[in-house]
Amino acid sequence: MLDDLRVLEVSAPSTMLAGSILADLGADVVVVEPPSGAPGRRLEPFLDGIPGLERSLTWNALNRNKRAITLDLSDPDGRDLFTHLAGKFDIILEAAQARTPAPLEGIELSNRTIRCVVSGFAHSGPKSDYADSDLLVMASTGTPAMTGDPDRPPLFHSVPQSIMEGGAETALAALACVIARDRDGQGQQAHTSARIAAMMSALSVPLAIGSGNPELTRKGAAGLAPDARIPSSYKCADGYMIVTVAAFGPSFGPMTQRLAKWAADEGHLSREIAEVNWITYPADVRNRIASPTQLHELIRGVSSLCLGKTKAELSAAARRLGLLVAPLMDMKDIAESEQYRGRGLFTPVQIGCDGREIEAPARFAQFSNFQIQTHLPAPTLSQHTAEILIDEAGISSTELQALFVHGII
Amino acid sequence: MNPPLAGIHVLDLSWVMVGPVSARYLADLGADVIKVESRGRIDPLRTLGPFKDGKPGPERSVSYHNLNAGKRSVAINLKDKRGCDLVRQLAGWADVVLESFTPGVLETFELDYAHLCERKPDLIMVSTSILGQTGPHARGTSGVGTMGAAMSGASLLLGWPDRPPFGTFGPWTDGVAPRFIVASVLAALHRRSLTGEGCYIDVAQAEAGIQFMAPAYYEYAASRSLPTRRGLAGSPLRAPHGIYPCFGDDRWIAIDASANRDWEALRALIGGPLEDPVLDTLVGRLRNREALDRAIASWTSPRDAEEAEQVLHGAGAPAHVVSRGGDLARDAHLRAANHFRKIDDPIIGEAEIEGPRFTLHRTPHASIKRAPLIGEHSVEVLSEVCKLSGAEIAALEAAGVLA
Repeated sequence: MLDDLRVLEVSAPSTMLAGSILADLGADVVVVEPPSGAPGRRLEPFLDGIPGLERSLTWNALNRNKRAITLDLSDPDGRDLFTHLAGKFDIILEAAQARTPAPLEGIELSNRTIRCVVSGFAHSGPKSDYADSDLLVMASTGTPAMTGDPDRPPLFHSVPQSIMEGGAETALAALACVIARDRDGQGQQAHTSARIAAMMSALSVPLAIGSGNPELTRKGAAGLAPDARIPSSYKCADGYMIVTVAAFGPSFGPMTQRLAKWAADEGHLSREIAEVNWITYPADVRNRIASPTQLHELIRGVSSLCLGKTKAELSAAARRLGLLVAPLMDMKDIAESEQYRGRGLFTPVQIGCDGREIEAPARFAQFSNFQIQTHLPAPTLSQHTAEILIDEAGISSTELQALFVHGII
Repeated sequence: MNPPLAGIHVLDLSWVMVGPVSARYLADLGADVIKVESRGRIDPLRTLGPFKDGKPGPERSVSYHNLNAGKRSVAINLKDKRGCDLVRQLAGWADVVLESFTPGVLETFELDYAHLCERKPDLIMVSTSILGQTGPHARGTSGVGTMGAAMSGASLLLGWPDRPPFGTFGPWTDGVAPRFIVASVLAALHRRSLTGEGCYIDVAQAEAGIQFMAPAYYEYAASRSLPTRRGLAGSPLRAPHGIYPCFGDDRWIAIDASANRDWEALRALIGGPLEDPVLDTLVGRLRNREALDRAIASWTSPRDAEEAEQVLHGAGAPAHVVSRGGDLARDAHLRAANHFRKIDDPIIGEAEIEGPRFTLHRTPHASIKRAPLIGEHSVEVLSEVCKLSGAEIAALEAAGVLA
């Protein structure tokens, strides 16, 4: 869909997903790295737990379908070649690193060029000098403060999310600029803050105060069952399930009703509790028609129901009965899922440099007249420098060797 | 300068979060977005808080405003065939249609892509659901974003090794999936402007979530090793790197001072046990991580979180408060970035919602407006788009079609 577009990505952790989304949608994406390799190559986890510039699985996951060149952008030759190349590209992606000069500072771009800059916090003003650290950016979003049991420290995702949120948002900024350019031929600059992008996952946390409500906290989430915390997951025979028991009202209440009936049918809940009106339950509790202990009973019944069944059995029942129930899948479950396989989520791709092939969950969307494909594995360091500098920057074979001798590529 | 999507028409048949957020991106970019809702089948988001001043009501949800800002609302009862006819007419007006019904439901209304593109062959239509429209388990799976998170692998990895997984905060994939939806729609609009082709786009929210977990998936796919939940924040490959308690109830600060320059700054500031030569090297810090973390925690514990952040940042040691809602509301960066936007609503008065999450310098976003009341624009839209007369609209109203 984007096969007429060319993207030059000055690689940083938070540009990687941006370039990857554009590449998956058909754009020709070329990554620019310093001769020592892009920082994304040093992100864990590593293939077989062994570090190496070609072994980062984060790099491999977020650089499929791209080509890569090396270029020292602090060197006059490097900058000159970059400027020359940039004229042949539609979109430049880059990250503004706090406390270090932007790699493209001072490089002139044509007025057709779209330039997207992503920062951890801000491009300018307060916190623009804060380090672009995933831990800090995520801490600042409001999400971890709401995640986890209140008697323990807040929880953070172990996969860095700020680079995903900031990267995906930057792809949208780039595409918005493309649409604007389709109309009048003019490029522009766009800025993304990974922090503001990632605040999406804080849901309504940022809104409570500005709307005259008390601050949301982890402890405040107890709600209807103050003495029996509503479990966020239930143990089952071979793992954990999420079972939404506290879903009431006309849209979701019937699902709770069906869940309670099923638990009773299976002998894990009394009929009396199954027949509580779960659609009107919150109001009934307020009006003292229903009691909070009924919810505790339901939770106990559901816990007991889950213990005796597998993830597959519970999932099948959820589909049959229309319940808000899902397995907490591990990566093996995902790899083996009939659903994801049947739908065509995966495409084969090589990783690392030992010829190993895996199936990447590449197809983030299915289209009626386009299919996301993996044409290229993530590039090795400098894999395409010669072909691109010779074909597109008018560099001769001798000059290429000279650039290498001087450490510019 | 016009925003990028000025003149683009979007019909939003979705509810709760994923579809509405996606359509809000398009509204922010200047599209004219008409949301179809119903008083008989109220958008559940209207029943979710926070409500202005804590008082519930279908027109009082600030979350609803946040995800539906700038749209127009038409109330239509789809259980009435005439209601479905109206939606078909609106789809004929639309460049983009978004929907998030349980897979299969739209076919029963004859409002699925096959029907809608007969009338408008270059239509771009997006369906989004937990598991998508195809595959053996797609039909019959309806659900919420906590289920998407569970089936993307994210929930299992959030929690303590000695307790059941805690999972994500709320319906995590509801925030992730819109990025892939909007990227697909914008790419499709670009292609349409070149070739005239429309398309049907099917985004499974769980699959969108898997994209944000891709490194963990690759770890399993490459070496059959399964990542497990760690509990404690911070990477095992960096030290100091984690969160530390501060003065007060559930107050924490994140510190990332593993790189040499940052470590030296932290050490110079805190001194004391941090001066131990065993901590001179990264390997020394990794091997003595517990003692290191204890020493840092004893420095942070009596301090106010914000004050600690200022002191650490001033000394060159990267740190940020683990922000709560109150911290966000007064955050200097968010204020300077104009992230919170005032809306003025006839029912709830003034409130604050969030602005767009990126900035365009030449063709800025449309100005941020409040979300509509249910059916606020029914008459306007039916006369302007469906070309109905006042009498025809009144007849539909009387027949309960506009409910």
